[in-house]
Amino acid sequence: MIEAIIALLAGMSSVFLAYYLAALGHAIVEKSGILNLAIDGIFVLSIAVAYAEAVYTNNNILASLLLTAIVAALFGILLAFLVTKFPISHGAAGLSMMFLGYGLASLVGLPARNLQGSIKGLEIGYTIDINNPVWIAVYIIIILIGLGALFFINKTKIGAAIRAAGEDPAAAEALGVNVLMVRLFAGALGFALIGLGGAVFELAYVQVWSEGTGMGHGWLAFAISLSAGRHPLLLILSSSVFAGLVKYMTTIQAMYNIPTDLAKMLPFVAAILAMVIFMATPLRRRLAPPKSLGKIYFREERTV
Amino acid sequence: MATQAESSKSFFSSPSTETPIIKLEGITKRFPGVIALDNINLEIHRGKVHALLGENGAGKSTLVKILYGIYTPDGGRIYIDGRPVKIAGPMDAIRLGIVMVSQSPVIIDRLTVEENIVLGLEKLNMFAPIRRIREKINEVSKTVGVKIDPSTEVWKLSYTQKQLVEIVRGLLLGARVLLLDEAITYLPLEEKKKFYKFIRQFADEGGTVILITHKIPEAMDVADLITVLRRGRVVGTVPVKGTSIEEIRKMMFGEKSSEITYERLPLGSPSETILEINDLWVRGDFGDYAVKGANLKVRRGEVVGIAGVAGNGQKELIQAVMRLRPVEKGKIIYDNIDITNKTTHYLRLNGVGYIPDLPAKYGVSIENNILENIAIIPTFSKEIINWKHIKSLAYKLIREFEIKTPSPETPVKFLSGGNIMKVLVSRELTAATKLLVAYNPTRALDEATAIRVRKIIKSKVINENVAALIASEDLDEIFQISDTIVVMNSGKIVGVFPADKAKREEVEHLMVM
Ligand SMILES: Nc1ncnc2c1ncn2[C@@H]1O[C@H](COP(=O)(O)OP(=O)(O)OP(=O)(O)O)[C@@H](O)[C@H]1O
Ligand SMILES: [Mg+2]
Repeated sequence: MIEAIIALLAGMSSVFLAYYLAALGHAIVEKSGILNLAIDGIFVLSIAVAYAEAVYTNNNILASLLLTAIVAALFGILLAFLVTKFPISHGAAGLSMMFLGYGLASLVGLPARNLQGSIKGLEIGYTIDINNPVWIAVYIIIILIGLGALFFINKTKIGAAIRAAGEDPAAAEALGVNVLMVRLFAGALGFALIGLGGAVFELAYVQVWSEGTGMGHGWLAFAISLSAGRHPLLLILSSSVFAGLVKYMTTIQAMYNIPTDLAKMLPFVAAILAMVIFMATPLRRRLAPPKSLGKIYFREERTV
Repeated sequence: MATQAESSKSFFSSPSTETPIIKLEGITKRFPGVIALDNINLEIHRGKVHALLGENGAGKSTLVKILYGIYTPDGGRIYIDGRPVKIAGPMDAIRLGIVMVSQSPVIIDRLTVEENIVLGLEKLNMFAPIRRIREKINEVSKTVGVKIDPSTEVWKLSYTQKQLVEIVRGLLLGARVLLLDEAITYLPLEEKKKFYKFIRQFADEGGTVILITHKIPEAMDVADLITVLRRGRVVGTVPVKGTSIEEIRKMMFGEKSSEITYERLPLGSPSETILEINDLWVRGDFGDYAVKGANLKVRRGEVVGIAGVAGNGQKELIQAVMRLRPVEKGKIIYDNIDITNKTTHYLRLNGVGYIPDLPAKYGVSIENNILENIAIIPTFSKEIINWKHIKSLAYKLIREFEIKTPSPETPVKFLSGGNIMKVLVSRELTAATKLLVAYNPTRALDEATAIRVRKIIKSKVINENVAALIASEDLDEIFQISDTIVVMNSGKIVGVFPADKAKREEVEHLMVM
């Protein structure tokens, strides 16, 4: 029994980490008030970038992680800049960026795959499973990141500034927050994490690439973040549930004889359930979405 | 700092030779459709409380917002300590020692007190833990005379406490100049007095205060100098010693100033009872009883004024009548029907108008325009809105109440504080065909407008046989408008007087007893 559980935990560690990073990144972006509908596109793009860089550098994992984080961060900065500096709809900016991400992913991934095909024996990725004790480190790292993020968001000045920008940017500005700078920072940091999530997803979990790899998984990260009320520690819980469901979907399906379509809905049903549960408890106030999430920010407006 | 030392040395020199701490030269600010400030020249001197007065929409808030870097002027120059400066944002202002507190607390509810304060504190580096400033906050709080736990989330605080947090914040940020934009308008009288004492002390110790208020006597009490703005221009600056209320009113309102009077308005002739409250018990925000067995009657053709210090259950009583707060015990009867289990919607459909507390928050939807804010009330539209009808009503209200707005399609958030209030008040006075329920119906309005609103209410009561239940923290208002004065204290009705028999000392005594 214990062995079975350990095997389960080891098996899902890579997806778990990928989802956790992406969902945490997304949470930080949204805490600053930016509605992030670009997430799936940038997640897919990150997967392609991680893949391509691994192919070009003969599977240099570190270089691949680093480049992906930087590329994703740049998109985060762009999104933050657009929706904070100009009165643009967050939805429109995010969705456009999503499609841009899908397109660029193909552009980046295809040549790399052709190259990989021409080099005999070039395999990319880093496998984390029961035979590689690193899986234990993954769990520890997740918990450390969770605690670190919690401290960062709730106890530091920049964390307070990010939350202030998400609650009421006009008031935050009046209190002395440079909303643009803070959102650029949150965008960069958040998207870097989303990028890392994508890279982990590719390098440790999928390890191959074809057009469309990862599509929809960005939205999963979105749902994970939402269902945990963007709370760094609750995110651990919800990403582990999602990771387990995604990783062992086929097994569960076979075991209980569930139709495939229904099984695919499971994670989302879980997300809705989680949300309802949080909202019914005193956690509600803590986990409420930022008040100005997705609201257009005009700088010179409010009188009174 | 060096300049400050110099100024204390030159204490006895005449103020005109001293470099003003703030000097404005030709400041102009336009918004689409309005010139809010038109070539403003003004000097503010160190150690002075400088009041800025003017009618609603005169440009007072715009002026201090420019000093705080919230708005950028279209033209003109600002000098601080004689040096030209550019104030591009509140951070720049704070660095120059300028801090603003406005009438609606600009702090963030879901953050704690210390988090709100730390946001402007440059000395603390971005990644530093916040608890490091806790000590400091406690220290400064003591000088202002507040006791607030810095780790409380702000939404748990009362309005007064929030305003005090803002002051503490200002001092902690090293304010040399406090910009108070109707910051104390909503404070209960007692707090107000404490606050004025603090302001005086702050100025006597070398601080500078720019004070915006609609209460001219208060300005004359606490300020050294008064500058009057009108339609975006400076009418003049006068020292408080050597001027009179009448002169100030003339500067503010011109001809209209002669209409200002605090005499009791003609009494109504009450007929049948329309609202009856029997042994009413209502809980406050924190779960304990705020209204403890109140009994009250309002008749048609009568204004019942509830006098009381803020926080004695008036707000909860009014909200319970409007069915916005659950009734724990007791009965409310309106127009012969028990409404204890009815909805606000029902009251709206049956001729009740309502002016709530914190108008910009609960009275209008500031993102929507004037037309939409009228159309939303069930009294004025059924399922399908007749926009033509709404529009003609809007034009009528804009004309009657002199609402300063580029058009009826202007989002309410672009109006000045007083003009937002006018939108609300004019709408509700129209909606009140049988009963008007109001909480501080004239605050944020300038004196002339406030008195006009009272006159309109009274004439509706007399000529249209409407009833009014009005709670107000402003005793002048209560005495001017009421036919019956009711005193509320600690959730109970502690006195009922016919207006012509009520004595001010007695009412005041019952309020604080
Ligand atoms: N952000 C804005 N957008 C458009 N118009 C504005 C804005 N801020 C102020 N105004 C306009 O500028 C004028 C001056 O407004 P301001 O708020 O300075 O008046 P005020 O003197 O503070 O009035 P009150 O006593 O009613 O608060 C008003 O006509 C107002 O509608
Ligand atoms: Mg104003």
